[in-house]
Amino acid sequence: MSTEVADTTNLSEKKDFLVRSSSLKDVRSFSREVFEKFKINEDLREELVLAIAEAAQNIVKHAYKDYPDTQDRMAVRISCTEKELEISFFDKGKPVEKSKVKHRAIDDVKPGGLGTFFIQEIMDSIKFKEGDKPWINNLVLTKKL
Amino acid sequence: MTYKVTEEGDTSTVFLDGEIDMDKTEGAKEVIFPLIDAGKNVNLNLSNVQYMDSSGISVLIESHQKALEKGTKLIVKDVSKSVLKVIMMAKLEQILNLE
Repeated sequence: MSTEVADTTNLSEKKDFLVRSSSLKDVRSFSREVFEKFKINEDLREELVLAIAEAAQNIVKHAYKDYPDTQDRMAVRISCTEKELEISFFDKGKPVEKSKVKHRAIDDVKPGGLGTFFIQEIMDSIKFKEGDKPWINNLVLTKKL
Repeated sequence: MTYKVTEEGDTSTVFLDGEIDMDKTEGAKEVIFPLIDAGKNVNLNLSNVQYMDSSGISVLIESHQKALEKGTKLIVKDVSKSVLKVIMMAKLEQILNLE
């Protein structure tokens, strides 16, 4: 885990993980450690952990759908100012087709399609960007504090 | 995730333990689905599950729907506060049988 400290009110931590479903518990552990270090409100922490884990899960399930045995890694960066938390995800998988990123209708009860809904419910903004090399995708989530 | 199953008459109680995510859902299904397929009513005790993501919620929905199809009942019991929050976020508190 790398720590970048720009000033006393701007903290950032980044870590990379093998793109596998078995990495999701490590993504959660990293997130919990960072939120504790950044002294994020305890009531908010587990919601944020869920949003982060859902976004990481989407990378495994969708960006690497056809490559379950990939050795590629994905990176998660959590940055925090006094007013805002920014969480960035970087991966080298299939480029995200923004028009296809949507959750199922919430009253159409069936398995699947809730991950993106949870992210939208928890976070204030979701932006898909092209990643700077070597990354292909860069998802940026923000939450006002 | 670990689990324990107890039997009483035509009801099986499944005690799940740990964090249920995409990596654990197949294991959860392998425990729950055969009980429903065998015509058992299933109590799913989640008191020791402290984290559940959308994949875990999908297992609850699938189990609930499978029980309806088979004419049995799935009751989700003793849900921890953190998991209840996720169930409510998915607006499933009126759909699932919660006790």
